[in-house]
Parts: sequence; structure tokens; C-alpha cells
Amino acid sequence: MLALAPDAPSLRAAQPLASDRSWPVTGAADDSALWGQCRGSAAAPYRTVVDLSGPAYRCSCPSRKFPCKHALALLLLWSDGAVATNGAPPDWAASWIAERAARTSGPENPENPKPPADPAAAQRRAEQREARVATGLVELDRWLCDQVRQGLAASQRAGYRHWDDIAARMVDAQAPALAERLRALAAVPYSGAGWEARLLEEYALLWLLAAAGRDQAGLPAPLRDTVRSRVGFTVRQAEVLASATPVRDYWHVLARRDLDQDRIRTRRVWLRGRETGRAALVLSFAVLGQSLDDSLSVGTEVDADLAFYPAAVPLRALLATRRDTFPGRPPPGDTVTGLLAGYAAALGEDPWLDTWPVVLQAAPARAPRPSLYDAAGDAVPLHPGAGDCWPLFALSGGDPLTVAGEWTPRGLWPLTAWDEGGMVVPL
Amino acid sequence: MSTWHDLVTASLIGTERAVVPAVAIPGLPAAEDDTGDPAAVLLDRAALLTAARRAGRRPDRAEPVPVCEPDPRPAVSQAAAIRLAGMLDGEHPDLLTEWLTAVAARGLQPPPQSLPALLDRARRAGPKAAVLRHLVAEAGGPRARWLAGLNPEWESVAAPALAGPDAWRLGDTGQRRGYLASLLASDPDAARELIAGSWGAAGIADRVMFLSVLADRLDPADAPLLEGALDDRPDVGVRDWASYLLARLPGSALGHRMAERALRCVRMEHGARGPHLVVTPPTECDASMRHDGIVPGPATGRSQFSYRAHLMCQVVARTPLRTWTDEFGLTAVQMVALGSGDWAPVLFTGWTRAAIAQRDHDWMAALISQALTGRLPGTATEAEALGLLARRADPALGAPDTLPEPGPDARTLIHAAHDLLRFRYDMLKELDDDHSG
Repeated sequence: MLALAPDAPSLRAAQPLASDRSWPVTGAADDSALWGQCRGSAAAPYRTVVDLSGPAYRCSCPSRKFPCKHALALLLLWSDGAVATNGAPPDWAASWIAERAARTSGPENPENPKPPADPAAAQRRAEQREARVATGLVELDRWLCDQVRQGLAASQRAGYRHWDDIAARMVDAQAPALAERLRALAAVPYSGAGWEARLLEEYALLWLLAAAGRDQAGLPAPLRDTVRSRVGFTVRQAEVLASATPVRDYWHVLARRDLDQDRIRTRRVWLRGRETGRAALVLSFAVLGQSLDDSLSVGTEVDADLAFYPAAVPLRALLATRRDTFPGRPPPGDTVTGLLAGYAAALGEDPWLDTWPVVLQAAPARAPRPSLYDAAGDAVPLHPGAGDCWPLFALSGGDPLTVAGEWTPRGLWPLTAWDEGGMVVPL
Repeated sequence: MSTWHDLVTASLIGTERAVVPAVAIPGLPAAEDDTGDPAAVLLDRAALLTAARRAGRRPDRAEPVPVCEPDPRPAVSQAAAIRLAGMLDGEHPDLLTEWLTAVAARGLQPPPQSLPALLDRARRAGPKAAVLRHLVAEAGGPRARWLAGLNPEWESVAAPALAGPDAWRLGDTGQRRGYLASLLASDPDAARELIAGSWGAAGIADRVMFLSVLADRLDPADAPLLEGALDDRPDVGVRDWASYLLARLPGSALGHRMAERALRCVRMEHGARGPHLVVTPPTECDASMRHDGIVPGPATGRSQFSYRAHLMCQVVARTPLRTWTDEFGLTAVQMVALGSGDWAPVLFTGWTRAAIAQRDHDWMAALISQALTGRLPGTATEAEALGLLARRADPALGAPDTLPEPGPDARTLIHAAHDLLRFRYDMLKELDDDHSG
């Protein structure tokens, strides 16, 4: 529960409020929702509601923290057993809970579109989309050839518009994932020395994707799923939960990374199964300012069933069933050779894979460039975008330590380390 | 891989002008369909090579960095580590020195992952923040010195401390201060001689430093030096320090002079609603007041006191606090509770400055309690005084149920002072709680 706090100060602020004195009214409906009125500095008491299924919060206080201290205090009270289960919520709580229930299952949630009302019309729309995407892929092919024909030096001079235009055409062609990939390319010419090689790699991989997208029928099913998701076809959560065979394991929560794009914050949580050794990626999203899913806290182990999205290298997964959470020990760390071999094997299945979770047992070095090297002296560079990584150096003191992060073609992006006492340290 | 390089060069120029180089990948047959659009051929080959290069990547080599010498000190608790991260993130950053002082005093080791941020903070603070730099170097220990070896930007912070008389002769202000403080602890007479001998040639900054060191171990033997400092050139900083320190010394001549001035201005009357204070502030700043460190004219900074109120406040601030309790036969708590009409803010601010300078925790506690429960601070100077009190008062006041909880309609300011005391209390308690890490 403490992991739900947005930061340490809010939690500290909540603790003094977690007493009966501050809460003349509290209640709970089974294990689904809590509500209460908290005496605050304003004349009217604050009204706080927590939907435990999210969890999601609503409070009438002016705090911009999310969850605010009142919601946290209410949760603290509840976890102490000080909130009685007393049936129906008052109107002000009930209306929000109902509204939320409607929203999470309603059509506004892109992950859960409503089942189509008219199967024939849906079929027609699906076919239309396939045709649009196919046309889009032909157009992308032509565009890529144009780039290489005119030379990449020209596209560097062209500016952001250059990629925005083709990205917009991919949106029209209903291939949103391609559009996003193309939009991201605008930054490549400004990414430092070697940009032309990186741009050519990206163009070449898009070329390969377009070719695979046009020839879906000739692909084995898992690779077809990968190609379709990289083009922008989504699979509904319900479908994943219904069709995937759940994988049960003690999932070590290795690392977490939040990325902001277009006012949406995406949270990537990387897991690794203790028994199966499988890697998994749990994504969550929030509009900027809203609080992201905090239920998986880095360093712990979670006994859970994961449902994997179908893919050639299944990584993305949903938590189908969650049981207990344990304080985790440092995960076993790989060698550099092991890391590279693991990534190579995954590339063999999915050549577009460019973010791969790894755990290394290694010491940091600064020359010839910031790197991590293992006991055999083998090294991998740190990602230039990750900055100086001084906290990682400071934590190691020059000795090897366990580091988890994302491996990419540009290097390793360190996200978590374990200190010599085995304590987890987010970087 | 030069084939890849050639391919990149061709793509940069464009296939309109450049020839697409042939690509050979070990273990794969040479491509045959080279007859199509050269651009398509190039992209085909680049795709193949991209996958092959990513999958076939070899490990690099790296130059190991020297290993840091071990730090025998126990680590602070995880709660303390989290709090430090929060402070570095902007939560009460002004309490960092108090945290570091407490960590160093307890012989604990701060969390290594926060050292880079601490070193950066101390470096950016510049030479004026000598105390912060020394605290970071001391608390940071061998790990901070090791980091400074890797990043020259931090060298100035974590440079090995000069020891003994070298620190005095060659060190910066911070190192000289450290030497003087330890000499004062081990051989007070020698330290006083050193100050007296260096006084004449010292600049203002050094003189202020001398006095700030004396402040930590003030002794009646310091009175002659301090009285002499009042006769100094009118360097406001030096006189200020000297007059505040003299007010703290029992039986000092300045203390007597100030007490007389103060009691000429404040008397107690018994009205219908009980006793209250009647204030008649000084009308002008005469030569003897100036000599005792009082500055005429509007206060610098944000003060909105009128000329006379400003003089009154300065007199109260330099008056030994026992003057009040002795004269009126009341405790500090009873004193601060007395009504004084429009002069309440002036007395509150003056008493606050006096309590902080004289390190009188009874008065600080009385003033804080008064501010939290009764009369709320109204003016900006009062607010500032309350903020100072919350920073300087004994952090034990922040323990749960020690001070009254601010009421629901208390102003933000009151809540802030209350929270700040609680924060300091928790911060220090965490350091005593658990050192197992």
C-alpha cells in the first residue's frame, strides 16, 4: 500500500491524518471501495473515495498530488482494519464509483472497446482497415526508396516536417504504430555522431517491416502477430486474457521506466520469472498528472499468473491473477556474453526488437566510454542518453554489482541496482 | 565492419549518385537479385546487415576504475536514505546541513547513490558555502573522495582536508574555521590567543568567522575581545556578531546597557483584563546605541517596521532574555503570553532573534507555542521569525504530542512551521533508530 504514494513527502503528510479523530465518517464496500470525510483546513470536510480495483482516487481537497494525503491516510486506516465494511456508499461516493466502473469498461478505454453491435459491419470495417494498411505499406515502401535515392543528407536538412508528413499518412492508413516510429525518427539526425548509420538502420528495419506487413500470409503465426502489432493492430486485453495460457511464476520486478510522449506517460515495468527465467513487460498508461499504476514495486517478487500478448518474442503481458508479494533478493546477474547471446537469440525471432530486459553482474568503467564490464573483462557501453550514471558509479565504488536495465543497440540503459547489502536502489 | 560503412556512405549520398556496394555476410549466400531499383537493393542489404550486426555484436573492452577503499562506518537506515533523496529533490533543502552534521556526528555513512547529487550541490553552492562543502566531504568519506578522483568537477569539494597548522596557514575559510574550532575544543587558551593575534590583520570575513567559531563555545573570557570588536571599524557584520554574543554572556557590560535600554522602553501595567506590557520605543539612535551594534534607519530587506519600531526590535534582540523574567517575575511562557497591543509583532520578532542568538531553548519553545496556539503571526517579519524558530528550536519539540496541533483554521504558515519541526524531529530520530541498513 505504501508504494501507492506518489512520493515520500505525501506519505509522511498522510500518516498524522491516519487516525479516527480526523475521520468522522468512513466506510468500505467489501474490498472494492473506501470512502470517508476528513477534517482538513477548510470549513467543509474533504470527501475522499478510493476505488480499490484500480486503485483510483478522488478527493475534494485542492491538492495536486495524486493520490493526495487524504486518500493515502484513508488507505492507511483501512489497512489497519480501522474502516468498517458498512454496505452502500453515500451518494457522493457512489456516483463516482459508478462513473468509474462505466468508464473502465466503456468505449473510452482503448484497450477495451465494446464488442461490435453488428458483426457484418465490423467485418466490413476490418477488411477496409486491412486494405488501407496495405496501401499505406506500399506508400511507405516508396517513401523509403525515395529517401535512399535522394540521400539521407537531404533528410537531415528537411527538418521535423519531413517525418511528420509521412507519419500523418500512416495515421490515415490506420497504421498508428508505424506513424509513431516514423515521428520518433525526426530526432535521429540530432542524436550525435553516427546519426546517419542509425537513420539507415531505422529505414532498413521499416523497409523490412513493410515487406513483412504486405506478406503476412506467408509468415508463421507468432511472427505475424509481431508484425501486426508493430504496424499498429492492437489485441484487446479481454482477448489476451481469454486466449493466452497463463504463466505462473514468482515474478521478480526488475526495473521500471516512465516515458512521456504527447501528454501521455507510459510506464514500462520489467519482470523476470524466478522458475521460468522468462522476461515480461507490463505496460500502463496515464494522462500526464494522473497517477500511474504503482502496484508492481521494484525489487519485490510477485506470485502471479501472466497472460502474454501473442508475439514471436512474447514480452508484453497482463497480470491475470496476482497472489502474494514478497520482498525480493537481488536477481542472479548475467555475463556480458550471456546478455549478447540472449539478445541475439531474441533478434532471430523478432529482428525489430530494440529494447530487451537484462540483469548484469558487472562493474562500471568510464574509459574508453562509460560501460559495464563483467568478471571476464567483457564490456557493454552504457546508453549515451542515460547521462553520466554517477549514482551507479557511486553505488558500486568500483566493485561489481547487480544491475538491471534495458539493452538497446546503442547500449545499456541502467534502471535498477542492488547495493552490497542486497538493498534495491532505483537509478 | 567496412561493408556497413560503405553502405551508410552510399545512403548518405543517395543511390542517384552512388553505387550500392556489395554485401557479404559470413554464413549467408551472396545476394543475387541485384538487378532491381538500386534504392530497394540498398535497403534490402541494410536490413540484412542491421540484424546481423545487432545479433553478432562482440563485447567491448573497458578500463577498470580503481576500487574505492572501504568505509567502516555503518550505513544510515533506509528511511534516512529515502529522506535524503527527498531533500535533494527539493524537500526542505535548507536542512541538508543539519542532516549532514547529524550523520557525521553519529559516525554514519550516507547512501552512496546520493553522493553525486550532494557533491554537485556543494560544488554549485560555491566558495561561500564552505560549511556545506566540508560537511559533504566529511560525511561523504572515502566514497566521496573516490568519486572526486573520477570527476574533476568534484575535486574542490572532496579535496583531502589539510591537517593541523597547515589548514590554518594554507586552507580556505572553511578549513581555517575547522582548524580553529578543533583548537578551541582542545586548547581554548591557545585558540583565543590565535584569534587575538590574527585579529588586526584579518578581513571582515575572517573576523566574522572567528566570532562564529567562538559562538559555539562562548566563555566569559571572550568578553574583552568582543567588547574590543564593538570599537572596531563599523563593519556591520562584525559588530552584529559581537553584540549578539555579548548579550549571551552573563554579566557582560553590553548586556547591562541593553537591559537598561530595554526596561526604559517596556513596562508592565495591570489593567481591567490583567497585566499587559506598555511599550515606548526609543526616539533616536544615539552614539552609545550605535556603539553597541544598533543600526539606525529602515531595516534592510523586507522589514516594514517604522524607524522607531526597528530600533526597539534591535534593542530587544540584544537584551539578555533573563532581563524580562527577572524584572517581571514571570516565566518565558508567561512573558510571551502578555498582551502588548500593536507592539506585539515587534516584541515577538525581537525575542525570537534574542532566543536564537542566546540559544535559549525555553524561550524558543515558549515563542513557538505562543505562535501555534494563541496570537497568530500577522506581519511578514513575524512569519520570517516563526520560520527561523522552526529551523533553530530544539527538534524534540517536533515529537508527537509535544506541541499543540494547529487548529483546522490555522494559517498555512502555522502548518508549515509545525510540519518543519516534525520533519526535523523525524529526520534526526531516523538516524538514531537503526544503523543496520
